[in-house]
Amino acid sequence: MIIAATNRTPEIIFSASGCTVKGECYPEDITELSKPVMKKLAKDLAQSDAYSINIELHYFNSSSAKFLFDVFEFLDNAASQGKEIEVTWFYRQDDDSMEEAGGEFQEDLENVLFKMTMLN
Amino acid sequence: MDSKSIQLHEIMITRGTFFCYAGPLSETVLTSISSGVKCQLADTGNTVSVINKVFGIFVEQAQNIIRYSCERIDGGGVGSVSISSTDSGFKIEAINEISQADRLRVGEALEKLQAMDGTQLKQAYKERIKSAPPEGSLGAGLGFIEVARRSSRFDFSFEEHDGTTLFLYRGWVDLPAG
Repeated sequence: MIIAATNRTPEIIFSASGCTVKGECYPEDITELSKPVMKKLAKDLAQSDAYSINIELHYFNSSSAKFLFDVFEFLDNAASQGKEIEVTWFYRQDDDSMEEAGGEFQEDLENVLFKMTMLN
Repeated sequence: MDSKSIQLHEIMITRGTFFCYAGPLSETVLTSISSGVKCQLADTGNTVSVINKVFGIFVEQAQNIIRYSCERIDGGGVGSVSISSTDSGFKIEAINEISQADRLRVGEALEKLQAMDGTQLKQAYKERIKSAPPEGSLGAGLGFIEVARRSSRFDFSFEEHDGTTLFLYRGWVDLPAG
């Protein structure tokens, strides 16, 4: 399943055991993105023991921050029940906003393996 | 010659206002003007970090007008958003009409944020993101905290104008020294 990028939402590509998110996220109505994504994540996670997510966001607004937080919380809960979950947060060199944002999400996760990777 | 046209031109040039939108603001309009603002900011040659902060404040302010300006249009609200170059960096401003009820709520929330340092703002952000949106909020209720965190400083005021109350909301992004 692929959710195509728009001017204001990232491209999201799902495989059986993970997904890749790339772009910007500041939609008009975050629920139009969050509902299908959460549903898909719940379905895929129920069917696999390991799941990995690559995220490269260049900008997201405050409503999207809440959505990302909810996704990570959901993943952390799944990881606490024995799933192997890995998140890689990519940020561009000099993009301290996105580096800081990733770092703050990381601080609140106990069970997910959260990696920060700088892009050159 | 229309002297007001020249006045507008002069005001914008002398105060360094390289972007200004005033009027009915919807999400569709925001999508469209965002592309222009992004190009303008990229052309300033500043770092991704600075551009992201300015753009982030601009989006939060614009969405604030769309959602909360009490002068409503179908799918949005009326107000103005502008971005200016200053001696120290950038100034991002928004003005919209506000109701008396919102004035109290907004004033209280912003005063609290103004008194916080970086650590306290981070704490407030984390607490808010973990809880459900506050009453009366259409987004995650994080917008004001986001502006406070991304800006070098911000201020706000309420001005009586033509029998209505205007909410002025300004954020500054300073360029790193050196």
